[in-house]
Amino acid sequence: MEEELDKAVFTYLKKRGFTQTELVFQQEKQNKNNKSDTDGSDTDVTKQILTFSQSENIPALYQDGYSKLRSWTYSSLDLYKHELIRVLYPVFIHCFMDLIAKGHLQEAREFFSSFREDHEMMHSRDLTKLEGVLSPSHLEEMEFAHSLRQSKVNIKICQYSYELLLQYLHKTQSITMLGIINEHIDFQVSPGQPSSISDDAEAFSLVGSGQDAANLINQKEIHWGLLEDSLEDRLDKSGGLLSDSEKTEGDAKEVDLDENKKKSLEGGKQGGPLKKLKKDKVGGGPGKGARGDGDKAASAPRVKPELALPTVPTDVENSILEDLRNRVQLSNSTLPSVCFYTFINTHNGLNCSSISHDGSLVAGGFSDSSLKVWDVAKLGRMSSSIIQGENDAAPSENTLGSNVGKRAYTLYQGHSGPVYSASFSPFGDYLLSSSADSTIRLWSTKFNANVVVYKGHNYPVWDVQFSPVGHYFASASHDRTARVWSMDRVQPLRILAGHLSDVDCVQWHVNCNYIVTGSSDKTIRMWDVYTGNCVRIFIGHRCSILSLAMSPDGRYVASGDEDGTIMMWDVSNGRCITPLVGHTSCVWSLAFSCEGSLLASGSADSTVKLWDVNASAKPPKSEDTKSGSINRLRSLKTLPTKSTPVYSLRFSRRNLLFASGSLSTNV
Amino acid sequence: MSVVEKETIQVVQQTIGVSNLSPDVYPDLAADIEYRLREIMQEAIKCMHHSKRTAMTSDDVDTALQIRRMEPLYVGSGNSLRFKRAARSKDMFYVESKDVELREVIESPLPKAPLDTAVVSHWLAIEGVQPATPENAPLEVLLAPVDNKKPDSKEDAISGGENKTPVKHVLSIELQLYFEKVTDVTVSRSNSIIFDKALLSLATDAGLHPLVPYFVYFVAEEVTRKLNNLHLLFALMRLVRSLLENPHLHIEPYLHQLMPSVMTCLVSKNLGNKFTDNHWDLRNFTANLVGLICGRFGYGYHNLHLRVSRTLLHAFMDPTKTFSQHYGAIKGITALGPSVVRQLILPNLDSYLQFIEPEMQLDKQKNESRRQEAWRVHGALMRAAGLCIYSQLRMIPNFLSPPTHSIWKRNGKFGTANPNKRKAASMNNLMEQPLKKVATGDGSHLVKVEMQGAASGFSITRGGSDVGMPRYLPNDNMAGVNGRRDKFSASQISSIAVSRAWKKEINAGHLLPKLYEIFGQSMFHFVPSPELCNLHL
Repeated sequence: MEEELDKAVFTYLKKRGFTQTELVFQQEKQNKNNKSDTDGSDTDVTKQILTFSQSENIPALYQDGYSKLRSWTYSSLDLYKHELIRVLYPVFIHCFMDLIAKGHLQEAREFFSSFREDHEMMHSRDLTKLEGVLSPSHLEEMEFAHSLRQSKVNIKICQYSYELLLQYLHKTQSITMLGIINEHIDFQVSPGQPSSISDDAEAFSLVGSGQDAANLINQKEIHWGLLEDSLEDRLDKSGGLLSDSEKTEGDAKEVDLDENKKKSLEGGKQGGPLKKLKKDKVGGGPGKGARGDGDKAASAPRVKPELALPTVPTDVENSILEDLRNRVQLSNSTLPSVCFYTFINTHNGLNCSSISHDGSLVAGGFSDSSLKVWDVAKLGRMSSSIIQGENDAAPSENTLGSNVGKRAYTLYQGHSGPVYSASFSPFGDYLLSSSADSTIRLWSTKFNANVVVYKGHNYPVWDVQFSPVGHYFASASHDRTARVWSMDRVQPLRILAGHLSDVDCVQWHVNCNYIVTGSSDKTIRMWDVYTGNCVRIFIGHRCSILSLAMSPDGRYVASGDEDGTIMMWDVSNGRCITPLVGHTSCVWSLAFSCEGSLLASGSADSTVKLWDVNASAKPPKSEDTKSGSINRLRSLKTLPTKSTPVYSLRFSRRNLLFASGSLSTNV
Repeated sequence: MSVVEKETIQVVQQTIGVSNLSPDVYPDLAADIEYRLREIMQEAIKCMHHSKRTAMTSDDVDTALQIRRMEPLYVGSGNSLRFKRAARSKDMFYVESKDVELREVIESPLPKAPLDTAVVSHWLAIEGVQPATPENAPLEVLLAPVDNKKPDSKEDAISGGENKTPVKHVLSIELQLYFEKVTDVTVSRSNSIIFDKALLSLATDAGLHPLVPYFVYFVAEEVTRKLNNLHLLFALMRLVRSLLENPHLHIEPYLHQLMPSVMTCLVSKNLGNKFTDNHWDLRNFTANLVGLICGRFGYGYHNLHLRVSRTLLHAFMDPTKTFSQHYGAIKGITALGPSVVRQLILPNLDSYLQFIEPEMQLDKQKNESRRQEAWRVHGALMRAAGLCIYSQLRMIPNFLSPPTHSIWKRNGKFGTANPNKRKAASMNNLMEQPLKKVATGDGSHLVKVEMQGAASGFSITRGGSDVGMPRYLPNDNMAGVNGRRDKFSASQISSIAVSRAWKKEINAGHLLPKLYEIFGQSMFHFVPSPELCNLHL
């Protein structure tokens, strides 16, 4: 036993090249033998050392140890995750090189290829270099590998992260990993809170995706333009015509519409460059000049939908066109009117609220699992009609006279956990709600009943959003995925995985080809709905993201976080334009005005702020000169409420701003 | 090393009854506990954020535990928990759990059901400007510094800053406009429909409170300046009435400013043109207004009643004042209620009537208008006395119950039997006997009074003025009569009941004959009857 142990130690020391230690060990051994007192040495240690020596010969242990460390790191606390993840890369390359050095070439290749993807984003160059290492001799020859073996990696880490790591390594007895970490990583332990992600982005900042990785992703091509043949387009055409002909020729409008459709179809078929199409449109739109320069949406390029979009019924279409015609043009000098819906007597139970596109319906999701919908048009004459629509008592609508519970609202019951989000369909006929019971429910506001239950998430669903055209919707969950659904399927169409923590909020791009998600991992990602790939990562927030908004021209994303910071991102190049500082607490809601000139933000500090978007987001001229950050988004107006944190905001199609919140009494 | 102390673990270990724990595991345990705590807090913070809150509640922790597939703690929701420091140790806290007597819980009344959730809407901003409605935050907050101001708005900021310091509250432009419009309409176009609309708005709109002092001042100013403009005075009084009717306004602090103008419109010597304008209507209207004010604020405003009635009595008792002033005073007192009438007018009735008598007669007072005024005053007095009677008689139970036909007949006979006795008896009872004695008088006496009442009632009926009139009287009367003569037990009981009821209001019994003396038969119009209730109230 004793000798076996000694042997193992010797071989280890030799392998490691610890010659001095070997000498000392030999001396000690001789001393020991001289004394010849065999005081039963700690058997535990013996065993450990033995297993250690054996494990060195089993390359599978590397693979195993690394994958365990990796999964542990990914599931660690959000607060410390980004620090722990920095450790992974050096461990990875040294595992690989150890394997090579020991001659397990085949296993090394396997190991390398199985975990390569993690680091591809950040260290792709290093990886391609290391890929060429095929024998132990290469390690010696190759300058890069040699320097890696010789030098230690410096990693800044906070006290608690360090403790966590050590605890893990001890607990799991992953001696291999411990060895590598001790040998090759130099921890600079700093007391206090973990460092912020963006503080040292150039170091090993983010998870599998630091600034480099993000840059890499952000180079992907993205078609951020509006959908071709959108209603706005048609309005541009028909509106110009109508004003010319004094709205007398209704038929002519129809003809024009048809022409317009044909034209855009042709444009689509040509498949030519977008710019050409755009020029076409600009040239062909006589009414555009009258609509003012503020309407940036009009100048955005057009793209084709990648999804099969639902058709809009003509009467709905007409009402929308009517709304668009009556739209108030907003700018930094003409601010919107704001209608505020205050929830009273909520007893701290209101989790979310949502306002329909025309502002006529207000929904509130409550922590007691209920969902309540108010018809605001009826608010004035509260006493007159009381409709009670319970899940199981749909026909009670007919008996209006029966005062079954005098409620001024429609109660939707069905969830079995707090309702965290609600979203009206674009035409207000459906309502989606998501809950802690991990389901999403679809409600019909016409029949006041639950229509579909979508089960798919395994954990609370934090957010759900209808697409701008309806039919499709996206959800965000605690299970770190976002999912894309269509109303007619109970299974998700896409599962978008990649965030390293909860996906907290989700928002559709105006052309429905992309969705944007914000997460507790402090990043915002943009996904291609059709392929399910991540096409943009926006890094810069210092705490979890709570709200997102997409500009109507599809070019900008606004995001609000826990600290009250709002950031504007340019989708086309993935850069942050400028942070908007002003709110002092969580930004619960963001909304762009319909022509994209104003951004409204609602916050827990009980204010609605209006920001001038045009001031900073002057389209592309400044893009190359990087002067985008010089322009500052201006805070135009702060509208304080009495003591009502603002939960949701919505610009109606006519550019009236609706806001809602729950009156908090304990302030 | 860990935030969880070794001692804490020991305490927990003791409470859950684990004894065989070696001290070596404490550090490991502490580290793990700390990690778990952090983990749960991380999830709880997420739940808190998704519940759109910035303060964590125990519900969030429960939800976080559920997310981690653990049993929630189910502590009381909200923030009802209070941690108390343990007596001896300095770092130990515990949650106090009181013993609750089950019976007390069961027997205590149910707590009020919490109000149901509702949605109210208001304009937070109109074209970017916040209207100064009560739903919005006060203006001062609006003036809070806004960074990146445009250069031309600097002046605004400066003036806004100046405004803030000395002036306590700033009227919004909307309110200023409103005030201007309303006062303008009041002064110039009080006959138009717009004025009616304005009054309606004043009586119903919330959010006018900042304007109350301005309106009160406006009324006071106009009343003193334009006493000869009856139309304006009337309009002002209607405005005051609307203000009083608005449930959202607290006019109480301004009453001391408002009352002088109101009283002026009631008892002023000249209101409008003496000959052409109908100032009586204004006095009537204002009297009602005074009644309304005293009724609403009499309790809260302790000397309001006293001051008003003193002023009115002063006007009433002063013979040098004009009849129109007397009229106003009497009307005012009447509006204050019957008890005030009884205390202030009735004792002085005789003397006043003597004073007014000569003025009313054609031969003694040649001045036509003066005579008419005297008659008006007389009428007002009569009404005051009559209402007083009415209110007292109304208190008596059974009084208004319809009689059976037979009783009516018998009573009729009885009544006609002794018509002559009426006057003498009433004189005896009422004028000579002291009040106190009457009040303690027995049943027989009471019946006597009633008999007279009944008899008087008939006199009217015979006159054919009102058939329904005497219906109620016979009932009581009969009961009394039967009680005395036939000793029917049932009627005896009812008699006692009546006498009890009358003990307090015995005065009414006196009043009626006495007033009959003074005003004659017309007083009986005020004796309550189901039909007449509508007429006189």
